[in-house]
Amino acid sequence: MAVDEVPIPKLDYTPQTIPEPEPTPEQARTRRNYLNHTTSVLSWLLTVDHKRIGLMYLVAVTVFFLFGGIAAGLVRVNLVSPHGAILELDQYNKAFTAHGTIMLFLFLIPVIPGVLGNFFVPMMIGAKDMAFPKLNLASFYVWAIGASFFLWQLIVGGLDPGWTLYPPYSTKYSHTNVLYAGLGIFITGFSSILTGLNIIATVHKMRCPGMSWGRMPLFIWAMYATSVIQLLATPVLAVTVTMAAVEKVFGVGIFDPTIGGDPILFQHMFWFYSHPAVYIMILPGMGVINEVLTCFSRKNIFGYQAVAWSSVGIALVGFLVWGHHMFLAGQGYYLGMVFAFLTMLVAVPSAIKVFNWTATLYGGSISFPAPMIHAIGFIVLFTIGGLTGLYLGTMGTDIHLHDTYFVIAHFHFTMVGGMMFAWQAGLHFWWPKMTGKMYSDFWSRLAAIVMITGFALTFLPQFVAGFQGMPRRYPNYPPEFQVYNILSTAGATIQGFGYLMPVFYLTASLFFGRAAGNNPWKATGLEWQVPSPPDAHNFKDIPEVYFGPYEYGVPDGLRLVADGHLGKKAVHANGAHTGAGVTNGS
Amino acid sequence: MAANVNGPVAHHFNNMGQQLATVRMGMWMFMATEILFFGGAFCAYAVYRLMYPKDFEAGSAALNVGIASVNTFLLLFSSLTITLAIRAAYTSRTKALGRYLCLTTLLGVAFLGLKAREYHMDYEEGLIPNVSTLSPEAKEKHAARMAALAAEGDRLEAEAKTKSGSEAAELRERGIELKARAAQPPVAFNENVKVVLSHNKAFKGRPLDEQTYDVGTPSAANAHDYDPFKVQLFFMFYYSMTGLHVLHMIIGVGLLTWQYVLTRRGFFDHNARFVYIEVMSLYWHFVDMVWMFLMPLLYLTGPHTAGEAIEMFKKSVGMTGGH
Repeated sequence: MAVDEVPIPKLDYTPQTIPEPEPTPEQARTRRNYLNHTTSVLSWLLTVDHKRIGLMYLVAVTVFFLFGGIAAGLVRVNLVSPHGAILELDQYNKAFTAHGTIMLFLFLIPVIPGVLGNFFVPMMIGAKDMAFPKLNLASFYVWAIGASFFLWQLIVGGLDPGWTLYPPYSTKYSHTNVLYAGLGIFITGFSSILTGLNIIATVHKMRCPGMSWGRMPLFIWAMYATSVIQLLATPVLAVTVTMAAVEKVFGVGIFDPTIGGDPILFQHMFWFYSHPAVYIMILPGMGVINEVLTCFSRKNIFGYQAVAWSSVGIALVGFLVWGHHMFLAGQGYYLGMVFAFLTMLVAVPSAIKVFNWTATLYGGSISFPAPMIHAIGFIVLFTIGGLTGLYLGTMGTDIHLHDTYFVIAHFHFTMVGGMMFAWQAGLHFWWPKMTGKMYSDFWSRLAAIVMITGFALTFLPQFVAGFQGMPRRYPNYPPEFQVYNILSTAGATIQGFGYLMPVFYLTASLFFGRAAGNNPWKATGLEWQVPSPPDAHNFKDIPEVYFGPYEYGVPDGLRLVADGHLGKKAVHANGAHTGAGVTNGS
Repeated sequence: MAANVNGPVAHHFNNMGQQLATVRMGMWMFMATEILFFGGAFCAYAVYRLMYPKDFEAGSAALNVGIASVNTFLLLFSSLTITLAIRAAYTSRTKALGRYLCLTTLLGVAFLGLKAREYHMDYEEGLIPNVSTLSPEAKEKHAARMAALAAEGDRLEAEAKTKSGSEAAELRERGIELKARAAQPPVAFNENVKVVLSHNKAFKGRPLDEQTYDVGTPSAANAHDYDPFKVQLFFMFYYSMTGLHVLHMIIGVGLLTWQYVLTRRGFFDHNARFVYIEVMSLYWHFVDMVWMFLMPLLYLTGPHTAGEAIEMFKKSVGMTGGH
C-alpha cells in the first residue's frame, strides 16, 4: 500500500513520533490503563510505576499545601491589627515557622519533581519507567516518613525559630521541637537526593532512540539541572543537621555561640544548601513554562539551546551565591562583594529565559486556556520577583531592605508568583493526560484569574511596606503600616479562594469531565502521542523520535513525517501501530 | 537490585548494556552525593582547625594512633580483596568470588572490632566531651595537684603573716586565690585529656589553664600549649566523623554479607550480574577513601612516634598490661 493512498490528517504541528491511534469508543470502555490495570490497595502502595508514585505525591503535597496555607492564613489574619489580632506572640512565631517549613520542605521542593517529574520525565523521553523504579518508591516513603516527623512536631506543639533554624534561635532560645523538625529535614532531604539521582540516571540512560540531548523537551533539561542541585546540595544540609544534633547530644558548640561555636558557619552551610534549594524550587517551574508557552502560542521555542543551557547555568552559578543571605551577618566586606557580583551573574540565565519566552510569544497564535493564563502570570510575576532580587543582591540597598517585608514580597513573587503558578500551569496542562478527563474550561480560567489577582494584591503592598521599613517576623508593627497589611490580608483571602477552586473543579472533572482524548492540546511531545490515561508501560513499543520537541506551526505536519522524512527503517519499525496511516509503504 | 525472576534484564530496560550502564551511573552519582555529605563535615573541621590549630594538635595527640594505623592497613588490604572479587566475578569464578567477598567482610569486621575497642578505650580514658567523671588516673593526679595548690596557698598565707603592708596583702590574696582554685570542682574532660596527653612523649604542649595556677614560676610559653576545653571540639569532630564512617562501614559489611549469601545461592552464576559486585566495590572503595582522609586529619595532626603507636596497639589488644 503506497503512502499516498492513506488519508493523512492535516496537523499544524509535527509530533516527535508517530502518534498511536485514538481509541474507538468500544476500546475506550474496555482498555486497561495505568490507573485500573490493577486495583487493590496494595498494588498502589507497593507500586513501582512512576505514574502512580507521581499521583501519590500529588495527594500528599496537596495535603501539606493545605496545612502550610492554613498557617499562612493565621499569620495574615494576625497582621490585620498592629498589635496582633488573634495570636499570642509565641503562637505567631510557630505559625510563620510552620508556614515556612511546610511550604518549603514539604510542598515547593517535592511538588514538581515529585508529581510532574515522576510522571512525565520517563514519558517525555520515551522510557517505560524511571531508571530505578524501586528506589523511586523508596524515596516516596522516605519522604513520607520525614513528613510525618514534621506532622508530629506540629501536633506536639510546633516549632518557633523560623524556617532557617539559625542558632542560637534554634538551640538556646527555642524550647520547641527542633529535634523532630531537624529529623524531618534530614529524612525528606534524602528523599530529595534519591529522586534527583533517579531523574539524572533516567535522563542519561533511558532516552529512546532518536531522543538526542538536543531533542529533549526543555522540561527535561530543567528537571536535569534541578536534580544536579538536589544531588549535590542536599547532603550538605544533611551533614549540617547531623552536626547540630551532635552538638545537642554532647553540648559542645559547633554552631551555638554560647557554648563556643560559630553561628556564621551554620549560616554558610545552611545557605550552601538553601540557596541552591530555591533553584530546586523554581527550575522545574521554568521547565513547565516552556512546554505550556510553546503549545499555546503554536510556535517553536525561541533559542532552544540558550534556554536549555541557561537551566544548567542557573544550577551551576546557583551554587556560588549563598553568601548574599549574609551580607549583614558579619561575613566580611570583600566576601560580600564577591557574592554580590555572583548574584548579579545568576540573574543572567534567568533573564535569558524570560527574553526567550517573550520572543516565543511574539507572532504566535496565542490561545488562553487555564494553563496558558497561569504561564503568562508566571512570566510577569516571576520577572517582578527577579528584578526586585537585584535590589537585595546589591550590598548597598540590601542594608536598607534586609529582613524587611521587601524580602518577603520578593521571595513570594519568585516562589508563589513563579513556582506556584508554574505548578498550576503544569497541573492544568497535564491533568487530561494524567486522568484522561477534561476539567471545566470556565472555572479553571476563572480560578487562574482569581489567583493572580489575589496574589498581586497580597504581595505588591508588601514591597511598599518593606521599603518603608516594616521588619519581617514581628507580630506587631507601627500603625502606619496597617493599610498595607489589610490590603495584603484581603489579597490573601482572595488567593485562598483561588487555590480552593481547583480542588473542586479538578475533583469534579474526575467524575463528570468529558474524555480528554489522546492529545487535547494538539501538543508535540511524546507523552501526548499515547492514549490518556497512559498504559501501565507508557508505550506499546519503544517510540522513535524524529523531530525536535516544539515543531508547532508546521502546516500539514504529519505529511512531513509520512513523506519520507523519517527514513525507511523508522516507518517500518512503527508501521504496525500508526493511526495516521503511515505504513510500510511499497 | 534484588534477584529478578524474569532474568537479569529488568522490565523497564531494553537491553543488558543499558541496564549495566544505568546501575553503574547510579552508584557513581550516589558517590557524588556522599562526597558532598562528608565534604560538609570536612569543611567544618577545616574551619575549626584553622581557628584552634594547637588545640586540634593536642586532641590528635590524645588519640590511639596504633589502632588507627592497623585499621588503615586492614582497609587498604580489603580494597585489594574486593578488587580481586570483581576480577573473579568478571571471569565467572564464583567460588573465588565467594572467598574474596568473605575475606573482605572479615577485614571490614576486624576494622569495626578494633574501632569499637578504640571507642571503648576512649570511653575508659574519659575522652568524651562534657563527661562528668574523671578517669582513675586523672582523679589521682588532679587530687595531688589540688592538694599541692592548697598547700602552696596555706604557705603563702603563713608567709603573709611574717610580712607587712602591701606585700603581705598581695601574698594573702594570692594564697586565697590558690586555695579557692584548689577547692573548685574539676572539669572532668580537661583533666582526662591532660592525663592522656601526658603519656604521649612526642607531644610537647602543656595545658594553658595550669600555667597561671601552677606551683612555682610558670615556665615560658610553648608553641604547642593548648586549652583543654577547646580540645573538646576536636573530639566532637572525631566522634561525628568517625561515627559517620563507621555507619558507612556497617552498611558496607551488611551489603558484602548479602552479596556473599547471593553468591552461595548462585545469583552471580549469571555473569551479567557482576555489575552488582562492581557497584558494591565502588561503595567499599569510597568508604576506604574517606578513611584515608580521616586518618591524617584526625590521627596524624598531632605528633606520635612509631614506638608509641606500637605500644598503644599492644595495649589495646591486651598484649601488655597498661601503664
